[in-house]
Amino acid sequence: MTVLAQQRTEPAAPTPHRRRRRGGYRLAALAFLLPALAYVVLFFGYPLVNNLSMSLRDYSVRSFYTGEAPFIGWDNYAAVLRHPLFGEAVFNTAVFTVGSIAFQFGIGLALALFFSKRFPAGGLLRSLLLLPWLLPLVVSGAVWRWMMDQDHGVINAALRALGLADGPTPWLTSPGWALPAVLIVNIWIGIPFNLVILHGGLRAVPESLYEAAALDGASAWQRFRHVTWPLLRPVTAVVLMLGLVYTIKVFDVIMVVTGGGPANATQTLTTWSYQLSFDGDFAFGQGAAVGNLLVLVATVFGLLYLRSARSSLAEGGS
Amino acid sequence: MSRVARHLVIGGVAASAMLVAAACGPSGTGSSGEPAGEIAELDYYADQQGSQAWQQILDTCAEETGIRINRQTVPTDQLLPKVLKDASSRTLPDLLFTDNPTLQQIASTGALTPLTDYGISTDGYYESIIKAGSYENEVYGLAPGVNGLALIYNEDLLAEAGVEPPQTWDELTAAATELSGGGKYGLAFSAVPSEEGTWQFLPFFWSNGADLSKVDSPEAVAALRFVTGLVDSGAASKSVLNWNQNDVADQFVAGNAAMMINGSWNLARLDEEEDLNYGVVPIPSPRPGTPPVVALGGEVGAIPATGPERQEAAAKVLSCILAEENMLAWDEAHAYVPSKVEAAERFAQDNPAMRPFVTQVETARSRTAALGEQYPKVSQALATALQAALAGQQSPEEALRTAQEQAGRS
Amino acid sequence: MTCTTRTGQWIRTAAGVVIVAVLLFPFYWMINASLQPSGSLLKPEPDWLPVDGTLAGYEKALSTQGGPLLDSLIVAGGTVAVSLLIAMPASYALAQLRFRGAQTIIFVLLIVQMIPGIVMANSLYAVFSSLALIDDYVGLILADSTATIPFAILVVRAFMLSIPRELSEAARVDGASYWRTFISIIVPVSRNAMVTAGLFSFLFAWADFLFAVTLTTGRSIEPITVGIYRFIGNQSADWNAVLATAVLASVPAAILLVIAQRYVVAGVTGGAIKE
Repeated sequence: MTVLAQQRTEPAAPTPHRRRRRGGYRLAALAFLLPALAYVVLFFGYPLVNNLSMSLRDYSVRSFYTGEAPFIGWDNYAAVLRHPLFGEAVFNTAVFTVGSIAFQFGIGLALALFFSKRFPAGGLLRSLLLLPWLLPLVVSGAVWRWMMDQDHGVINAALRALGLADGPTPWLTSPGWALPAVLIVNIWIGIPFNLVILHGGLRAVPESLYEAAALDGASAWQRFRHVTWPLLRPVTAVVLMLGLVYTIKVFDVIMVVTGGGPANATQTLTTWSYQLSFDGDFAFGQGAAVGNLLVLVATVFGLLYLRSARSSLAEGGS
Repeated sequence: MSRVARHLVIGGVAASAMLVAAACGPSGTGSSGEPAGEIAELDYYADQQGSQAWQQILDTCAEETGIRINRQTVPTDQLLPKVLKDASSRTLPDLLFTDNPTLQQIASTGALTPLTDYGISTDGYYESIIKAGSYENEVYGLAPGVNGLALIYNEDLLAEAGVEPPQTWDELTAAATELSGGGKYGLAFSAVPSEEGTWQFLPFFWSNGADLSKVDSPEAVAALRFVTGLVDSGAASKSVLNWNQNDVADQFVAGNAAMMINGSWNLARLDEEEDLNYGVVPIPSPRPGTPPVVALGGEVGAIPATGPERQEAAAKVLSCILAEENMLAWDEAHAYVPSKVEAAERFAQDNPAMRPFVTQVETARSRTAALGEQYPKVSQALATALQAALAGQQSPEEALRTAQEQAGRS
Repeated sequence: MTCTTRTGQWIRTAAGVVIVAVLLFPFYWMINASLQPSGSLLKPEPDWLPVDGTLAGYEKALSTQGGPLLDSLIVAGGTVAVSLLIAMPASYALAQLRFRGAQTIIFVLLIVQMIPGIVMANSLYAVFSSLALIDDYVGLILADSTATIPFAILVVRAFMLSIPRELSEAARVDGASYWRTFISIIVPVSRNAMVTAGLFSFLFAWADFLFAVTLTTGRSIEPITVGIYRFIGNQSADWNAVLATAVLASVPAAILLVIAQRYVVAGVTGGAIKE
């Protein structure tokens, strides 16, 4: 890649000169990266090692004080995988994550396209959509819990008034509805994030490209498909990837709205990890093991992301 | 010593914690030297009313003992995580007020010192309170006040329907059914999937003769079937699955529930509502004539091993908080029941609304008495069973059988 | 022609208002609840408007939450500054100075964000308590930056990928140093991305509860997410005051966000990205 780029800009550069430049180039890149690298090593190294070590030990409440936590190898992982809740938690996590990302991204992109056209008060309206992010989750979660209350919630009242539902919808009290309910709350929370970043990405697409496409007689869909979408790809990739990382570790939303219930219907790997550590079992090693499984999942998706990023870079480069 | 320990921790290796432990084990509990001039105190009375009431007690005792008290308050859920972090970085407070079912967990780490070392007497306390504060035959925690659950009812709604406050399960079902309808429910309680849900279920569970060592006994199943029946018949809302005790009180105040299972700490709040006339009776029991058995609630004060001088100072402050007049002041302000038998009797005479709560403390049971450190695990299994049964996912039998399996797994 | 476009524009505005109204309904519902006595929203037929309103919640919020509000603003502002200072040069290196190993770094940045928050908080507590960074703005800012720096790098880099590399190569050929190129070409062109990243850094830090509660004791600083717990106890929750606090706290932050966005819009139209 680097070679390609160099060749494009200075095809005739003599070899010794090029080598020197590439050396300086590397050094410059390193210098620019140094603060970030130092920060990552300083602030993430210890916690990461800590969590790994914890997951390989029989870490109990006692261990915090005595420091004694016998090494037990992969036992915590085995215990977690065999746990009756494991399957359910994985399923819930998958539904929650995929559902959240699909709708957040879809709605976010639609809104970003909508707001990318200039119209009166457009900027202000778009800014307003960020307001939910300013609310502490304990507050917005509680508001949603009231709104979704089966008997007196405003959502059921509205559905009744509009004649859309006969009886009350048991949003948070039926194991079948609870997961969709927390999903809706999480989608609502995630829309502004997707909207703002995608909107920023759209702004970076040069207007002239659209004009050229319009001159060629491209329809709105064709312009989106062949101009917007490809140019938006780096931003799309990062939004989806971050969406994945953030959604998979969503904790407060679920805890405040359902507490993982009813009957574990909204228990995800993240809430379960917390439960293993702090509610009842005090199996900190198992909690850490679940946390590391999540890191592992993210690693897999991270690799997929890198592959897609590499191929898109290759496209851009060739 | 602890400075050295902390430097080792930043060494960056997790294993360093072990070195720390070797470097400074629990400091000797035998008192020596002068008490320290200031101590750090940790509690979770975060809300305004509770915080102010507690601050007054601390101020009084700071003045009486001449010891400065640096208070820190954390939200309830954060207390145990905070204590564990502090334990591993050797920054524990000198005086700790924690929810009584967590005391044995903390004591089991070895981080706490027995209160008898400081000459704090356990005479005159309710037996159940001493049990709740004990671990392996040593008393590690004592409380200036305790609480429990009772049935609080809306006098107007009951009078309107011509219903008497229920005393037995049958009467409770009948009353709650009678009072339900039109978007309102006869009874509200909390069945959230946590300790709070278990705590609310235990009075039914224990009063029916069930035991935490076997949560799928016929008595336990009958208790769960009774509670599930209240929801299935529409006498209580299915939303009890999501309501914590604050929500339950909100429902009661809003008039959506004619009766609720809740604690004494709500009385102050209920008094604020001018249009609300309420009464309090003990939780109905399964059979006439048998007293209900509720769980003992409230926070206990404990002294972590932070060094002889500081421990001595903390002990002085704790003794002051436990002194009868301060105990009564706190209980008055926060609607708790005094933890000493005689003080409680006098307290009941002065505060009629507290009487049912005081009566119940006599038979109240400590949640950790039988199971010790194992309690949180069983509690969680029980809360899960409660949810499964109420949500209609499992029958009470199945739900409790699962709970027994879960509790039995190590 | 102009007429129809103008009508079209107003139709868009109308549609925009509807969208915002639907998405912000929970926010409205919160304001509504903050003006009513606790429990009013639980009535069999909820009040859609706060007809018999009360300002009691706001009085309580105003009397106790001024300090926490200021603390939150300082911490969130500091986090934005630290995050951008570290993330901007790093993104430039990763997006424009492509070199072997860049992919690995991006990969690491993604993975570290998966470390459970509670583990991060506990580990940082151990370190910070020995460095006397507990109850310290610097400590909290550095901790909050653990969430925002990887995020900011990834986002800004994604944007920077679309800057034609010829732009900086040309500057280099003209003899400008890497630093100069970065400061005078890359940063101005990336203003948009910078503000987007800054915006969310602000919001992350603003909304953080776990670090705030772990790394402060309430004696000298107390961010608003912790301050709000003065109204939520385990035995009582004064929702009226909680909601009022949330509404009040969001006002200065919202103003800040709108100004920031204004600034970016101005920057884009006057800037170089269109070329």
